Amino acid sequence: MALLEVKNIKKSFGRTEVLKDISFSLEKGEVLAIIGSSGSGKTTLLRCINFLETPQEGVISVNGEVLFDGADPSKKRESEIRKNRLHFGMVFQQFNLFPQYTVFENLILAPQLMAKEQIKVKGEYMGAKTYKQAQDEIKSEAEKLLKKVGLTEKSKSYPCDLSGGQQQRVAIARALALNPDVLCFDEPTSALDPELTGEVLNVIKGLKSTDSTMIVVTHEIGFARDVADKIIFMDNGVIEEEGTPAQVIENPKSPRTKEFLSRFNQFGD
Amino acid sequence: MDQFSTVTGQLLEGFSQNCIIFAVTLVAAIPLGLIISLGSMSKFAPLKALTRTFVWIIRGTPLMLQIFVVFYVPPLLFGVRMRERIAAAIIAFIINYAAYFSEIFRGGIEGIPKGQYEAGQVLGMKKSQIFFKVVLMQVFKRIVAPMSNEIITLVKDTSLARVIAIPEILKEAENFSKQGLIWPLFYTGAFFLLFCGVLTLLFRFIEKKLDYYKG
Repeated sequence: MALLEVKNIKKSFGRTEVLKDISFSLEKGEVLAIIGSSGSGKTTLLRCINFLETPQEGVISVNGEVLFDGADPSKKRESEIRKNRLHFGMVFQQFNLFPQYTVFENLILAPQLMAKEQIKVKGEYMGAKTYKQAQDEIKSEAEKLLKKVGLTEKSKSYPCDLSGGQQQRVAIARALALNPDVLCFDEPTSALDPELTGEVLNVIKGLKSTDSTMIVVTHEIGFARDVADKIIFMDNGVIEEEGTPAQVIENPKSPRTKEFLSRFNQFGD
Repeated sequence: MDQFSTVTGQLLEGFSQNCIIFAVTLVAAIPLGLIISLGSMSKFAPLKALTRTFVWIIRGTPLMLQIFVVFYVPPLLFGVRMRERIAAAIIAFIINYAAYFSEIFRGGIEGIPKGQYEAGQVLGMKKSQIFFKVVLMQVFKRIVAPMSNEIITLVKDTSLARVIAIPEILKEAENFSKQGLIWPLFYTGAFFLLFCGVLTLLFRFIEKKLDYYKG
């Protein structure tokens, strides 16, 4: 069974149809890269999966559990959506770190709030029975994550004192702190200077080796080719072509895909 | 010298009235302003229209007129008279300043990038958690400068309370001038300058405290 299953997603803003019947699935440990020109619907698709947008139609399920069904209004309740969001982590183009908190505080804020709530309601959070226990756990996990993204020494810095690449690495660690099933990246390097993209892409590559399931919306075709197990080329709200990097990037079948990729090849990507 | 200390004592007594109006208005108008600002950003159209109309009326009419209205209209309508004149003045000040504060709060809240809310959402936070743990502190930093402006204006506006015969500092000085003693009128300026000077230092301190981060 696929880890993530997305079926017949349709999304319009007013009269503009942005997603026209999108379906795909993702196995555990797979990396999916979504490529395509601006306005093709890539980001909207990612935002639908994270429930930042509500599709008009379609079904999203994780591990066979239906998280969203356009036909079922009970799946659109705020409390339900909030719970379901935890299956996904999201890394934004603009990082969106919380500026008033240190790097470390950025990592532990959400897990701490979650732990407080769950210990109250369920009596435990990830095996910890008391808030004190949970907090120790959260802190040591945050330290591990900072080490993973190579920013241990920046733990006490504020986001404004970091470079863009460092901020994005913190954002990745923050998203991982809640242990999501699928980690999503929305053009994670588009807001960075070219010389800073490498460090972020390397972190993402590193995650692949630890079997994280990821969806990456990107313009870095070379990166997509190297890291992705599966590539989706989106055009005008539909999946124009999908397959392995060898199929989509090396031997595209659709004329639109060819045209899109030729623009990249021109510059010797 | 004897005259100077008499005048100073009298003016200080008057200034205590200004201080009371200032303090009570500040304490009450900030939470009320926050509530009004939430109303003016509401997605519920009638509430939004109502609060925006309210803000328009309050900001569009003189504070002095509002003091008159609060003081004279309840007795005319219901035959009740406020026992303390200062209560009428304070109510007018609270309403007036809450309206101005609400616009500052609205600007501060609306200026927070959408990405901050979305980052909180994808981390599984509740709306209230996002507001209190993520947004509020950033709003606070953004509004320190405009709020300090408004609060300093409030200090000086308190002297408007004399229009309903509250014995505030300028009223006391006027009493001296009616007896032919003009200088106490100008002397009142020193009280305001001193008070506003302290506030300016306080706001500078707060701004510095919040300087540890940008954004």
